[in-house]
Amino acid sequence: MGPGLLAYTIRRVLWAIPVLFAISIIVFWVLRLAPGDPVDSLMGTRYNDETAAAVRKKYGYDEPVYIQYVKYMQNLSHGDLGVSTRHQGFTVSEVIWPKIKVSSQLGAMALVITFALGIPIGVYAALARGTFLDPLTISFWLALDAVPAFVVIPIAQYYLAVKMGWVGLGWEGVWSPNAILPVVIMSLPGVAGVARFMRASVISVMAEDYVRTARAKGLRERTIVITHITRNALLPMITVIGLSLPGITAGALFTEQYFGIPGIARESLAAVTAPDFDVVLALVLFGSTLFVIANIVIDVSYAIIDPRVRVGTRRG
Amino acid sequence: MAQEAALEADAAAVMRPSQSLTRRVMRQVVRKKLAMLAVAYLVVFYTAGIFAPLVAPHDPNQQDRAIEARLQGPSADHWFGTDRLGRDLLSRVIYAARTTILFTVAVSITGGLFLGLGLGLLAGYRGGWIDTLIMRVGEVLSGLPTLFIMLALTAAFRTRIDSLSQDLRDTWLGDDAKTLLQFTIIVGASVPFAWIGSSRVVRSQALYLREADFVVAAELMGASTWRVITRHILPGVMPLFIVGLTAGMAGIAGAEVALSFLGLGISPPTASFGTLIGDGAGVRTFQASPHLLLAASVPVILFFFAWNLLGDALVDILDPRMTPR
Repeated sequence: MGPGLLAYTIRRVLWAIPVLFAISIIVFWVLRLAPGDPVDSLMGTRYNDETAAAVRKKYGYDEPVYIQYVKYMQNLSHGDLGVSTRHQGFTVSEVIWPKIKVSSQLGAMALVITFALGIPIGVYAALARGTFLDPLTISFWLALDAVPAFVVIPIAQYYLAVKMGWVGLGWEGVWSPNAILPVVIMSLPGVAGVARFMRASVISVMAEDYVRTARAKGLRERTIVITHITRNALLPMITVIGLSLPGITAGALFTEQYFGIPGIARESLAAVTAPDFDVVLALVLFGSTLFVIANIVIDVSYAIIDPRVRVGTRRG
Repeated sequence: MAQEAALEADAAAVMRPSQSLTRRVMRQVVRKKLAMLAVAYLVVFYTAGIFAPLVAPHDPNQQDRAIEARLQGPSADHWFGTDRLGRDLLSRVIYAARTTILFTVAVSITGGLFLGLGLGLLAGYRGGWIDTLIMRVGEVLSGLPTLFIMLALTAAFRTRIDSLSQDLRDTWLGDDAKTLLQFTIIVGASVPFAWIGSSRVVRSQALYLREADFVVAAELMGASTWRVITRHILPGVMPLFIVGLTAGMAGIAGAEVALSFLGLGISPPTASFGTLIGDGAGVRTFQASPHLLLAASVPVILFFFAWNLLGDALVDILDPRMTPR
């Protein structure tokens, strides 16, 4: 890692920190200012005011919001994410980690499928440029992208599970055949984006001098497409991984809900509606931090594998 | 997302001073058949939505609890059938289109026009630390799990609007008060994420135009910053801004549909594609009355698809590498 790259990495990290803090403050305030504080959901509807006040005091909800925030951040720095009110007797860490594991495994599989489909489709569309096959291919995947997960899931569940009986609908773990349908449904909407990016990348590589040289040398078209064009066009695709993450998580929300998957997206929806304050906070903070780190890692590794990208200098 | 990247990369190459960009784009859109189909569908969708009271064959809230009137399949009287409460689905879909249109217009104006165009111009023309601040914040925001943050924000605000909507009910708003508040909440939750794409596109174009001879000349002649921006930069930025907005439109509309589907957006009886789809979604419901899901989802899916196709076509036209000439 050269000095320019190191400076770039540090600058990205330094910018991410205040923005993440701002998000944590906004979300904390919005959640704490909402009526029906955690004690309400903790104690149900029947309780006397004294007990409620005692519980409020115990968890510190009787203090001003900014003091609560400071305490929350202090606990967070020790790895204490607070307690769940929806799952009584469990800490937030106990609630979220097993679910994060399930969701990240499914999400990673979906991401692999998205790229495994999108990259060849993009190459195909780029090579077919000028014919009707190019817009037709891209439009087909754009159409799939337009179908929301919550529409396609009941239809797929009905035809594939109820009518044809090909897959079961019950959740039997990440490595069971019943996980195939949810993973495929999560992966398909992103294909259009990957394919379009790959198409643009291939088209710009096709105009490079070394491709013309390869042609002039009389190399086989197959060799040119695979080793000269596709391999070089793949480099910028690494940045698309970061761009695909929000879409995959949004899809996971509905997929986990419909298929009864004990994942983090489903938990977050339940936590938001409960409301289970500390779980919501932990998820927003954890999710945001993870995504920010992922994007920084991706951009830096792109700069490492493709030295032509000069991240130290800005365009314009 | 890929569209934005492509736009950004070639913003500078797009402008050819000798040619009217708008006219060239219009000519090429007409030449693309798929894009024309998309435009035609959008015209129908917007006409139906805007003139909903005139177009809708029935009152969208008119219930008919008679057992034979409920969950009817499509017929001559009810083209899309009826829902669980015997309401005409076509009329509800037309009013849902109206909700979608209002939402996209509200977010496009606040998040797109004010924030996207405004911040993009500011960043591109002013440069310096303002540019760095705007672009870095946008960079971090665009990498976040947007839907989750929107969920947390809308859910927290929704619990607080009940008493406020009771108070507002006594004003001229009447029964619309609650819908209006829900609408405001989801617009407010969408706006922080809606400006990023268009501001990037605008910024790179403004950066390029800032160095153009006619801008430098105007500055030397003593034109004010305001005049330079509105008279010289803005006209060159507008076409790309519109393309950026077009490419992001399906995403903006999708947020309202998803939030309403989850019960965190517009709630019934006000029609929204999210709640209409929610009524028909579910394996058993789909098995028993497939028309509920299909009638609600096909129009809005075509709406998303049409905007995406149009955005794709516009990016293709504007990207010089992509257009065989």
